[in-house]
Amino acid sequence: MTATTGNGNILQIRNLEKTFPNGVKALKGVSFDVKKGEFLVVIGLSGSGKSTMLRCLNRLHDPTGGSVLFHDDDIVKMKGGEVRTLKKRIGMIFQHFNLVDRHSVLSNVLTGALSRTGSMTSILGLWPEADKKRALEYLKLVGIADKAYIRADQLSGGQKQRVAIARSLMQNPEILLADEPVASLDPATCHSVMEYLKKVNRELGITLICNLHFLSLVRQYADRVVALRGGELVYDGSPSAIDGAWFTKIYGEGAREVHVN
Amino acid sequence: MSTEVAHGLPRRRFSIKSVVADGVFFGFLFIVAFLTIFPLSDEQTLDLARNLLIGLVSFLAGAMLSFGLFQAGWTTLGYMIFRRASDVAPGETAKAWFKTFWGFQLFLTLGVFCVVGFQVTEFSFYELLSTDGFEGAKRIFGALSNPEPSVFAPGFLAIIETIFIAFIATMLAIPVAFVISFFCAKNIMGGSPLGLFVYGTLRIFFNIVRSCEPLIWAIIFSVWVGIGPFSGMLALMIHSVASLAKQYSEQIECISEGPVEGIQSTGAGFLQTIWFAVVPQVVLPFVSYTIYRWDINVRMATIIGLVGGGGIGTMLMMYQGQALWNEVGALVVIIAVVVWLMDSASAQIREALK
Ligand SMILES: Nc1ncnc2c1ncn2[C@@H]1O[C@H](COP(=O)(O)OP(=O)(O)O)[C@@H](O)[C@H]1O
Ligand SMILES: [Mg+2]
Repeated sequence: MTATTGNGNILQIRNLEKTFPNGVKALKGVSFDVKKGEFLVVIGLSGSGKSTMLRCLNRLHDPTGGSVLFHDDDIVKMKGGEVRTLKKRIGMIFQHFNLVDRHSVLSNVLTGALSRTGSMTSILGLWPEADKKRALEYLKLVGIADKAYIRADQLSGGQKQRVAIARSLMQNPEILLADEPVASLDPATCHSVMEYLKKVNRELGITLICNLHFLSLVRQYADRVVALRGGELVYDGSPSAIDGAWFTKIYGEGAREVHVN
Repeated sequence: MSTEVAHGLPRRRFSIKSVVADGVFFGFLFIVAFLTIFPLSDEQTLDLARNLLIGLVSFLAGAMLSFGLFQAGWTTLGYMIFRRASDVAPGETAKAWFKTFWGFQLFLTLGVFCVVGFQVTEFSFYELLSTDGFEGAKRIFGALSNPEPSVFAPGFLAIIETIFIAFIATMLAIPVAFVISFFCAKNIMGGSPLGLFVYGTLRIFFNIVRSCEPLIWAIIFSVWVGIGPFSGMLALMIHSVASLAKQYSEQIECISEGPVEGIQSTGAGFLQTIWFAVVPQVVLPFVSYTIYRWDINVRMATIIGLVGGGGIGTMLMMYQGQALWNEVGALVVIIAVVVWLMDSASAQIREALK
């Protein structure tokens, strides 16, 4: 592994800004560090900029200011081929899973290996045997090896999210971004997916940055929490330290905590 | 340019389109009135400049009338067609539609249009019902319903040629249209000014190509490569490329962004993203459109044959020219059967692919 950015931080985010072409300032100078191997949760009201921030970290969006150090390289300054390499090293899963519905579960997982496979090789479907074996292993890891050959649209929401986790593991990522991974799942399934994310974090040592809605989940899974409000960082600390006063500061007056069991 | 009619009333906004439309509607009435009072002499019919001037003056007068009526608070037909959803026609909303000004204008314009139309098409009940005409019709229908059996064999060969003209035209059009359709899709090309430029240029180009009927392309190609199946095939191919590229690209424009983001986030390249995120979402509609296009092409190939594009159309033209109606009847039977078969087969396949 490459040396980390000093003192155990895998990411150093400084004054990160994102203004969309339509003028919306989604991030107004956000700064914090992400420690290697931690399970970091990002909370905030809907529209506070959580998704935008995650997408700036793997350059699905191009930030408009600030810097993000990742192993001494500035993510914000990367261009062309560097951006592709970055995306390869940072996996991502989404609220709506973003699988290719018509393809089998196995080929969905294999697409995680696209960045290291030639265009023609992958388009013709000539995946290396080693990759196929690994894909099956990751499916076993998330507990759905038996579904490898059925179409992805036949799965339930929770199963789809586990396929998405397996797909991102195929990339060998150092960091896994999760944008509200359980927001479209029912409470029971929701915990199963969170458990798999925890497993990926603890057993494979992959740093996790996860956007979440429910504070109860945050207390259960997060090592550390940062909160966004209106594109600004308003909290950075331990999940247990979020008391009533902080809650009001993050979510605004009149908000009430709801629990997911 | 917006006009507030009166304080507190719903907004009425002026729009250029509605004035242009009214200019055409009123202008048409003015021209008809003018020509009724001053009929054209034979010389004047050929005087393009004078006639254009009459048209232009009528149009401008119509447009000014429309603007005047708008200012006076009337609701014209043009305003009714092009008003925005938030615009209301004050004072007119409560009336029955046929008592409104625009309703009156609609009926008057349509009525005059029909009268002029009957004149131009030389519509005549007398011709339709005359005994002479009836005899002719009886002769033709009699011959058509008594097809000449010896024509079935060559006719069958000719329609196979037609089917293959349509098939090859479609096959050659597929790869070209497939590649081009991605450049004609706004969600793929919209990212950069260059992309938008390519997108816009291709759109305009293919709109022009598509607005040229295959019959016209067939005439062009029959001069270029000579009369025969090849020119017919080329004509259909050009038209198919333009039509398929449009239908394919519309399909690409309504894919969901999710899988695209999912594949991009793995670090996939541009081609890989297209292949793994876009193509799976569009492949079935593409197949469906393509089968339908082949079906359409078989029918068009028959028509194109009439101007020498080969196949059964050319044969039909030959017999018709010699007034061999029994032979024509045999060909009509073959065409009807094959078109019906292709049509239902393609409908079945498209239904199954949904
Ligand atoms: N592609 C975009 N173009 C313009 N504005 C956007 C875009 N994506 C998000 N926004 C705006 O940025 C702000 C933050 O959005 P987002 O990051 O999705 O918030 P969250 O994920 O916390 O709900 C919102 O005001 C949203 O409307
Ligand atoms: Mg979001």
